[in-house]
Amino acid sequence: MIKDFEYFAPKTLKEALTLLDKYRDECKIIAGGQSLLILMRQRLVTPEYLIDIKGISELNYITSNAKKGLKIGALATHRAIEKSPAMKNGFSVLGEMERRLASVQTRNWGTIGGNICHGDPAGDPVPVLIALRSTLKMANLKDERTMPVEDFTLDYFETALEPNELLTEIQVPLPSPHTGAAYTKFNIIESDVATVGVAVSLTLGSGSGICEDVRIVLGASAPTPMRAKKAEGVLHGKKITDNLLREAGVVASTEAEPISDIAASAEYRRELVRVLVARVGKEALARAKQA
Amino acid sequence: MLIEGKFTLKAPIQKVWNSLLDPVTLASCIPGTEKMEVIDDKTYESVVKQKVGPISVKLKFTTTLTEVEPPRYIKAVGRGADITKAGTFTQETKVNLTEFPNDEVEVSYSSNVSLVGRLATFGERIMRAKAKSVGEEFTKNLQEKLKSGPAG
Amino acid sequence: MKKELRLTVNGQPYELYVKPKTLLVEALRKHLGLTGTKRGCESSSCGACTVILNGMAVKSCSILALQADGAKVFTIEGLADGEKLHPLQRAFLDYGAYQCGFCTAGMLASAKALLDEKAKPTEQQIRECIDGNICRCTGYNSIIRAITAVVNGEYKEEK
Repeated sequence: MIKDFEYFAPKTLKEALTLLDKYRDECKIIAGGQSLLILMRQRLVTPEYLIDIKGISELNYITSNAKKGLKIGALATHRAIEKSPAMKNGFSVLGEMERRLASVQTRNWGTIGGNICHGDPAGDPVPVLIALRSTLKMANLKDERTMPVEDFTLDYFETALEPNELLTEIQVPLPSPHTGAAYTKFNIIESDVATVGVAVSLTLGSGSGICEDVRIVLGASAPTPMRAKKAEGVLHGKKITDNLLREAGVVASTEAEPISDIAASAEYRRELVRVLVARVGKEALARAKQA
Repeated sequence: MLIEGKFTLKAPIQKVWNSLLDPVTLASCIPGTEKMEVIDDKTYESVVKQKVGPISVKLKFTTTLTEVEPPRYIKAVGRGADITKAGTFTQETKVNLTEFPNDEVEVSYSSNVSLVGRLATFGERIMRAKAKSVGEEFTKNLQEKLKSGPAG
Repeated sequence: MKKELRLTVNGQPYELYVKPKTLLVEALRKHLGLTGTKRGCESSSCGACTVILNGMAVKSCSILALQADGAKVFTIEGLADGEKLHPLQRAFLDYGAYQCGFCTAGMLASAKALLDEKAKPTEQQIRECIDGNICRCTGYNSIIRAITAVVNGEYKEEK
């Protein structure tokens, strides 16, 4: 059922970028293919040229630095991240998110870079990476640049990646002291995509217990993963109580712009946002107090 | 999928009505319209090209004005298909004009679009999400078109 | 147009020439005649196509065959040792862990991948390992019981 294509399997980043520079919009990049192949099998996506980057080992790594935080190569698989000993303390939310992403089989082959570049607002990694203030590195043949993950997804399944660029690395900085982050999603069955996903990161002032910094990020609630900034404003600069968390949940549910589809109505998604923001916020708070 | 929109124009209702009655108006406001062909004074054939993320669609369809109640109500129906047969769709659109004092007219439309085929099954999440922004763009285009008056 | 593909399946090396668009499940079923692995859904959701590639459970319908170049693949045909059934197979028989059998090859692959990685998984881990394998017949509990029985040593291989 897949339409024939010409196939390249570059083994280095430079080879891949050279090919990409040549074919640009005429080609598609395949890494794990866990999102792309579904569309290609149905002939909804029919590239003439396919550049298979799965074998580029220089993009497959997870490194941890005591001062700088994590550097994750775009081709690191979800499973590798899930099982990585680096996913502890402030980064444990990443391992937890990966553990609930799809199923074991998909995690074994799919890559975090592929997931991010697919631009799915219901994806799990991006909301968590935004909550953790992550940045992305992308390269073309001549140059490379970085940008906050927050700015990367532009619209439904559209990202800021240029036609001649490859995502190369995800950088997750060390969280500030007294920071806690958590993520959860509601889905219809386990291993399913998020009906609604919520990631929260809270930083408390040392000793004061006042919320000095907060990020509330919603998945599957808008055209892109979105920060619920008004809800964040409810918590920022205050001592966080259960009531305040509930209020933040209510505000976040009004900020969200969900659609109705086969999984849930827009109203139900708003309700999920309301409940999950309070619930995840509470977990993040508990972790911040322990951090 | 339901796609709805409404806006208010400062123009005499008869003028707005005359614009709407021309099937070119409704069809040409659909975002991504590449080609249009008049069949008769109530029927139009269009080709629309749209891209949602990695999925590109080229839809060929016919629009017919089936109910015309001057100067307040138009109903248009259409059916079409993606050129690669990835999906077929039907639509039913109702447009209402309401007169307000000070030469103001409220234009409201409601479009019921039904999509069947691989695009619907495998592209459901992608298509549905895009429908909302297509609706917004359509509303904007219609507003612009009606402001400038009936087609020549 | 066709490209060379070298891989080892159930310990046996193979050299194939496949069109790049060939899926791993197609290479296994059509090119190698290993039809134990099934195609159930066309939407990457059912897991009936699960095989073990370089020690990892993967959905073979969602991998291009060429991506398995140089890989070691295990399919259901490699589970039994000649006439001697693998403990997982015996447990599945004893515990009624299959009815129509369509999901079974994939279930066994997922289970084997887990046990190869972890000899004593918890029940939660067993449940999670078959998260990506859908069964229409059994209601899953007999499958969980069968895998648990193997984990508990009920089918210790006699030497």
